[in-house]
Amino acid sequence: MSNFSIAELSAAEISKLVTSKEVTAREVAEQAISRIDAHEKDIHAFNQITPDMALAAADALDEKIAGGATAVELGPLAGAPVAFKDNMNLVGTNTTCSSKMLESYQSTYTCTAVQHLLDANTLPLGKLNMDEFAFGSSTENSAFGPTKNPWNTDCVPGGSSGGSAAAVAAGMVCATLGSDTGGSIRQPGAFTGTVACKPTYGRVSRYGCVAFASSLDQIGPFTKTVEDNALILNAICGKDDMDATSVEREPEDFTAHLGDDITGMKIALPTDMLETQGLDPEIKASIYEAAEKLAAAGAEIGEISLPHAKYGLSAYYVVGPAEASSNLARFDGIRYGHRVEDAEDVLDLYMRSRAEGFGPETIRRIMIGTYALSAGYYDAYYGKAQKVRTVIKQDFDDAFKDFDIILTPTTPTTSFKFGSKTTDPYAMYLSDVFTVAVNLAGNVGLSIPVGCAKADNMPIGLQLIGDHFQEQKVFHVAHALEDIYKFHSVPANLK
Amino acid sequence: MAKDRLTEVLERYEAVIGLEIHTEITATNTKMFCGCPVEFGGEPNSRVCPVCMGMPGALPVPNKAAIEWTVLAGLATECKIAPWSQFHRKNYFYPDMPKDYQISQYDLPFCADGRVVIDVDEDGVEERLDRETADNVTITDDGYAAEIGITRIHLEEDTAKMIHIGGAEGRIAGAKKSLVDFNRAGTPLMELVTEPDLRTPEEARRFAQKLRLIWLALGVSDCSMEEGSMRVDANISLRNHGDTELGTKTELKNINSFKSLHDGLAYEIVRQAAILDEGGRIIQETRHYDVTSKVTSALRSKEEAHDYRYFPEPDMVPFQFDEAFVARIRERLPELPDARKARFIREYGLPTFDAKVLTSDHEMVEFYEEAVAAAGVKNAKAVSNMVLNDLSAYLNTSGLGVLETKVSPQHIAELVGLIDDGTISSKQAKEVFTFMTESGDMPAAIVEQKGMKQVSDAGAIESVVEKLMVQFPDKVAEYQGGKKGLIGFFVGQVMREMQGQANPQVVNQVLADKLDNA
Amino acid sequence: MSLSKEEVRHVALLARLGLDDDQIERLEGELNAILDHINQISQLDLDAVEPTTRSIPVVNAMREDVVRPGFDREMALLNAPDREDGAIVIPRIVGPGGGDQ
Ligand SMILES: [Mg+2]
Ligand SMILES: [Zn+2]
Repeated sequence: MSNFSIAELSAAEISKLVTSKEVTAREVAEQAISRIDAHEKDIHAFNQITPDMALAAADALDEKIAGGATAVELGPLAGAPVAFKDNMNLVGTNTTCSSKMLESYQSTYTCTAVQHLLDANTLPLGKLNMDEFAFGSSTENSAFGPTKNPWNTDCVPGGSSGGSAAAVAAGMVCATLGSDTGGSIRQPGAFTGTVACKPTYGRVSRYGCVAFASSLDQIGPFTKTVEDNALILNAICGKDDMDATSVEREPEDFTAHLGDDITGMKIALPTDMLETQGLDPEIKASIYEAAEKLAAAGAEIGEISLPHAKYGLSAYYVVGPAEASSNLARFDGIRYGHRVEDAEDVLDLYMRSRAEGFGPETIRRIMIGTYALSAGYYDAYYGKAQKVRTVIKQDFDDAFKDFDIILTPTTPTTSFKFGSKTTDPYAMYLSDVFTVAVNLAGNVGLSIPVGCAKADNMPIGLQLIGDHFQEQKVFHVAHALEDIYKFHSVPANLK
Repeated sequence: MAKDRLTEVLERYEAVIGLEIHTEITATNTKMFCGCPVEFGGEPNSRVCPVCMGMPGALPVPNKAAIEWTVLAGLATECKIAPWSQFHRKNYFYPDMPKDYQISQYDLPFCADGRVVIDVDEDGVEERLDRETADNVTITDDGYAAEIGITRIHLEEDTAKMIHIGGAEGRIAGAKKSLVDFNRAGTPLMELVTEPDLRTPEEARRFAQKLRLIWLALGVSDCSMEEGSMRVDANISLRNHGDTELGTKTELKNINSFKSLHDGLAYEIVRQAAILDEGGRIIQETRHYDVTSKVTSALRSKEEAHDYRYFPEPDMVPFQFDEAFVARIRERLPELPDARKARFIREYGLPTFDAKVLTSDHEMVEFYEEAVAAAGVKNAKAVSNMVLNDLSAYLNTSGLGVLETKVSPQHIAELVGLIDDGTISSKQAKEVFTFMTESGDMPAAIVEQKGMKQVSDAGAIESVVEKLMVQFPDKVAEYQGGKKGLIGFFVGQVMREMQGQANPQVVNQVLADKLDNA
Repeated sequence: MSLSKEEVRHVALLARLGLDDDQIERLEGELNAILDHINQISQLDLDAVEPTTRSIPVVNAMREDVVRPGFDREMALLNAPDREDGAIVIPRIVGPGGGDQ
């Protein structure tokens, strides 16, 4: 079979073709490589393409299959082309975080989540573009140039995991990993029409993923289908000895309830959040439409209020930068990374290497964070923000006493044009208004595409929020929405 | 500087001293937050991993054993163990810190509010002028005991080692460049902070020595000041007697011996007094004590006020320790030096002096205990005598440590046993001891080989005594005339005749018997 | 609360960012604009509320004291900008810095 297309097929479907010997893993890898070749100059999803690694993994897999390994042994992702956000270490690749600071930094070890996907017999195609150190919502903050939205290359793919979203939407690979601190998976997921999940905090090991804000960061998957998303999460989740914040849980299968009836599932609309200023009327309408359709499918729809969610953005822009200012201190030009040639002394080396190595948004975040933690301001900013976190978490806890899922827009607008929000940092920050609260409270959030806006023909994503460790419920409802809308992540012109 | 100058200053000013003591936990297999081994030396950067080199994306995972050792240290110093504690990040840039923040503890340390009692005797006693009246002081037979408060003990990670090149004596000042080796980075480091309860340089020295003994008894660290596994910093300020406000302090750092701690503080007290006497003001700064020049000098001016931006370490979760946990750690508490000293007095019948000297040296006391275990408690005092006299003298002249000689606790026990059962005399024992240090042979074998068996047979001794009485009739007469001191002369003669192998007790008995009844 | 230019300069020193006057000036405006939004939270009365540092209430995550293989030395120094005899070379250390451990 040679007329298969990775742009048309899910990871699960490709895996079935490979393990049933209808196509070879090498054919899959070669097609991924040629698709990347064909579209990369328009999309610029990748910082580094690793055809040799993909082919080596493919050949190793083909050998296992020839040796009689069964589909069950090889797993449901065997042969699926994948790629990783460039803040995840993978030996044999650079890990640049799209920063001049780490332009030539070679990974010295491999990120746990990445290793899990390699162990699942996937084919690693490379490292994906992002906003520098994950600071941004458009990938315009990459030191290596922005990634384009496959749905309209004049528009941003979202960020910070813009490359991860675009690579899936452009049909270059079937699944990617991104990281989400305040919406960096779900927002680009919404902008590119992909399924994008930020798991519960602690669900996936953060070891090997360059930290932005340690208490908020989670790694999660971008896929074209809900099933793929659940399968990837199955593969990457779990307690890791190398991450003290990863959580030990009974093993569970996130695909367990896919396709099940949603009768009796209780879904809440946060009515106060839906009055947020700047929420695109079409997106707002799509929420009510989705609620009606879910109700028609048997779900019970109710209304709640999340009174403190509106403070989430402010709290997030304190906690995130504060932790980041500390996490990014290590980029000092001593052990690795950019170092000025002619430093007078160590202080001079620090000052100039960091000022040269970091881009403007990174500098802004480090400055805000340093200020928020500094003597005399800690209580007013960092301390206060952590208390806001408490009340936001309480709002969610209260809501989840009565409901299984909270349904919100993922973003206030659809994808925007390059340059349209770069002059006012806060305008860009508003992209995260519906997503940050989920990170602050540690809940699971998933963005699912439900169609394109009539105004600009760009994808609209809705966010399903679940209680801590309730990924199964989120995937269950997401799958129902997928059945209803039958949205395809790859735009017609790229298939 | 002259001792009396210090005393004179202390009469006019009260010195207020607090210590911060960092101790590397060398008892763990691995570092604080990664699985790299804890060892000393080795090729640079040969015991490192992504975590302890601060590689992008690496995360710390705390070592349970290091935390348990710290809790044990807290229990040994009568601290309260926090039911709820956590790590914080202390943010500052320095090239020996791989992450440019140190994972340490801030407002929720593992241990707080403890105490250690120190004993001061000899010359140090006079320096403490208010010893009769101070609340935390008790007068003892040979000096005084002072209770020193422990503010806290927390756990953190050690920094990398830097070698400074191009300057004088490897010092940072004047160096052209430095080499950084991360082998030490991430070693578990306990930081103990005392209350400002210390009043004299001698108390500071005694405290540091006492703490070292406690840590050694626990086995938590090798406590080597030279290799830097135990590092003492001292805060010192002066105030008028009776004042309750603290004066401006200076901080002494990089002290590498107990003597330097004492001498550096003594210098600093006199230096500060001279400034205050002239109406000057003390500058709050960090100072270094130079052993060669015997003066302190400013280490670096605090141009930049430190702003460590502490915040709870988000890469780790908090610790909740219940009473059962603490009880389980408490079971691991060994006998501490003070308790051991009391037991030596109570159960071994040792004089206070012996007990004190033996328990003031960790290796010595372990050696002693082993020797007593082999020789039996009835010989505890005899063993103490041999350890404190013969062995100590030998260690002094040879310059060896207790564990470096050929003499084992079993040697001592056997030798004491040979005296006890009358096989050899104490005098012979001294000879055997010398042979023993040279050859490492066991005492019984030496006695056998040298034919040194003591003669305790009264009959043999009687015949010698009878012969001598015939030989020295005048002396016999003088003795019987009341000059009883002449017994010594006869003992000497018997010993000479018998090549020193006669049992002195038997000799005395026989002589007294024969001379008195002749 | 707002930041003066001098405070911006001080924060830049704390963060070891060697910024020029233009950058300082631009940041003064940008940071104050961001702080204006952030200051929303100062309106909230949260005196009775405990802070949340970590959203998932887990305690006592510790590691057994078992040696794990680390770097071979080549990997440790793979990215070192300057090295000598297996160590990392840095220029001289002067001026402010260092902590109290
Ligand atoms: Mg410290
Ligand atoms: Zn290590």
